[in-house]
Amino acid sequence: MGGCFSDVRGGKDAVGGDLPRPTEPNAKNDGAHNDAIELFYRAHGAYPLFTQLELSFSASKLLNLDVTSKSDPMVIVYLKKNDGKLEELGRTEVILNNLNPVWIQKVSVAYQFEMVQNLIFRVYDVDTQYHNVPVKTLNLKDQEFLGEGSCVLSEIVTKQNRSLTLTLKGKNGHGGLRNFGTLTVHAEETIASRSAVEIKFRCAHLDNKDLFSKSDPFLRISRTVETGGSIPICKTEVVDNNLNPTWKPLCLSMQQFGSKDNPLVIECFDFNSDGNHILIGKLQKSVADLEKLFKEKSGVNFFIPSSRAGHEKVLKGQLFVDQFCEKEQFSFVDYISSGFELNFMVAVDFTGSNGDPRKPESLHYIDPYGRLNSYQQAITEVGQVIQFYDADKSFPALGFGGRTANGTVSHCFNLNGNASESEVVGVEGIMAAYANALRNVALSGPTLFGQVVNRAAEIAARSLSSNNNKYYVLLIITDGILTDLQETKDALVRASNLPLSILIVGVGNADFKQMEILDADNGQRLESSTGRIATRDIVQFVPMRDVQSGQISVVQGLLEELPGQFLSYMRSMDIKPLTFNAAAQASRALEIL
Amino acid sequence: MAANSRTLEIKVISAENLQLDRKPIKKNASVTVRTDTNSQFRTTDMDTEGGAYPRWNETLVLDLPTHSKSITVEVQCKTSSSVRTIGTATIPASDFVGGYVPEGYLHFLSYRLRDHKGERNGIINISVSMEAQKMYAYASSTTWSNSTMGFPATGNKSFGSGVVTGVPVWYGVYQKDY
Repeated sequence: MGGCFSDVRGGKDAVGGDLPRPTEPNAKNDGAHNDAIELFYRAHGAYPLFTQLELSFSASKLLNLDVTSKSDPMVIVYLKKNDGKLEELGRTEVILNNLNPVWIQKVSVAYQFEMVQNLIFRVYDVDTQYHNVPVKTLNLKDQEFLGEGSCVLSEIVTKQNRSLTLTLKGKNGHGGLRNFGTLTVHAEETIASRSAVEIKFRCAHLDNKDLFSKSDPFLRISRTVETGGSIPICKTEVVDNNLNPTWKPLCLSMQQFGSKDNPLVIECFDFNSDGNHILIGKLQKSVADLEKLFKEKSGVNFFIPSSRAGHEKVLKGQLFVDQFCEKEQFSFVDYISSGFELNFMVAVDFTGSNGDPRKPESLHYIDPYGRLNSYQQAITEVGQVIQFYDADKSFPALGFGGRTANGTVSHCFNLNGNASESEVVGVEGIMAAYANALRNVALSGPTLFGQVVNRAAEIAARSLSSNNNKYYVLLIITDGILTDLQETKDALVRASNLPLSILIVGVGNADFKQMEILDADNGQRLESSTGRIATRDIVQFVPMRDVQSGQISVVQGLLEELPGQFLSYMRSMDIKPLTFNAAAQASRALEIL
Repeated sequence: MAANSRTLEIKVISAENLQLDRKPIKKNASVTVRTDTNSQFRTTDMDTEGGAYPRWNETLVLDLPTHSKSITVEVQCKTSSSVRTIGTATIPASDFVGGYVPEGYLHFLSYRLRDHKGERNGIINISVSMEAQKMYAYASSTTWSNSTMGFPATGNKSFGSGVVTGVPVWYGVYQKDY
């Protein structure tokens, strides 16, 4: 949750210390992800969730273009942007005289779940005269092209050992009769991604900043940057009315704090509902220092900075570390590459408020010239990203609020017209079923989500009988306002402890204020009519019309949250990546023998 | 354990926003879990640190009779003068049994607590699983369960007695029988 809370209750929640949300580039960043992108995201109020990956390469049976010896190959990695332009991400070194090279130099790339990252790899034979020249300065026009391969980054990440072998082709993708050989790309997360520390902070003798009661303290932890400032990485929840508070344990990933010796700024504020939190005190300690505090069971005093350097006022208030433990946190890539899948499902609104699909003003109008309507846009944007994480690309496609062939209004029918099977293959399959349904189903109403949510929950629950490596994502696209909010809340609460996330995209011009209640970002957990409360917040809502021009689409914002929701489910259920389990069971089996 | 009841493992995790007389409580909250037939109940330790947001992380084990329809969870607070009930929640068995979810699934559930006047008073967070099965657990000998792994155990399965094969299951529980 990187947004601003206008609700006090939500504003008191801990932020950032729980999930691995790296907001700073890795200290060893080599330019693949740079500060300009950071600032861009921060200016838009969003923190991108990315993981730094390192790509390493090997090739076999490359073309031999040298006369007296063999080719001297090098690989260049490009990112293909939406406009088709290529942005170079990095180069390997040149290996001499080898048609089956294994390069050492890795290329860093920031893995962003919410985008389809098209990578192009080009292999060049570097001419002898350039062999002692820095690789970066080589002009490719002077080198000989050996072959090109391309893939989407998520294809590499979802492979068992995160290695993908591509058949190289000539320029413009023509293979022709020539055999250009193969290129194998392997992705590795930097080690820092997996280490984390769990720290339980406590304070004593804090100053009282409130008039009629005691301070409501919370801690904010920031990482210092080279330029001298500091960037907040997380904050604790607020403890009301307490000058000796203990907070819930915070989990900081190494991606957030950089290294154990990196100085962290810890500030203690008194929470005020008007947003003007008063600084009680601050101090600077690295993670290694905090570990020392834990071992020695000692406290460190806060101070108030003053304009005169060296004259900070030392306060009575102290910080203690009651718990400190280092742990390994499996990352999203760990799960995905070990065989975990994201299964995609779609539910489309067939209520009358969309307008007659035959008329161009209708939200369901299918443009003969190919311009996608809002429904098609949402399906494409989400489907194109998630499809790579779904092994069989078999997606249940549902509709609600329409009058089907048998004359009754259904709140959960199959778009493909099949009575029993709701699944279609690929995003193209969804589009075809959607167009087909528009011809055969009459728009009706009212707008009810309850049944499609129940169906999604049923599918997710059933899958648990055979395995626990599937996580489901239901995309609901709707133009209107829910008719029965309570029934939908009930369905959502019942689904909230299952491996399921629900993305709701609102299209058209309706006032979607009511949908924001379902999103629960204001801190209010959903409550069912039976008194049960949602275990976790599985719903995200965004209105499509908030699309900003430029590269960041609003739907991408929805997708950014998915890896976090996936991880929080897996971690709370203590489900580990498959390879880890397999190894553990194998060793246990050996013990029994 | 008789053949007509099932073992229920309830981990009482935490509670939120507990109040007495409209003020947040200071400390000493504890939780009692009961079957609806009132045949058994278990209570957690008191939490002394969390105040109105106590954390117990304590697992209680109950035998739930087969025909049982719900369990109740009651949060109490020990004040200087007495033990007062802050609120209760009734958890229907259908929330953790049946449906499409397989047996033994660890259900993380949360419920609204209501005080004796029926007004809302906080939230209780728990996790529930029907059988204590972890790794090579024994199979339950109840009549209707259909667990799929482990070796059948003989006799009584209440923990502390009975025969099990395989790696003993962690309980981390101690009972308080009043």
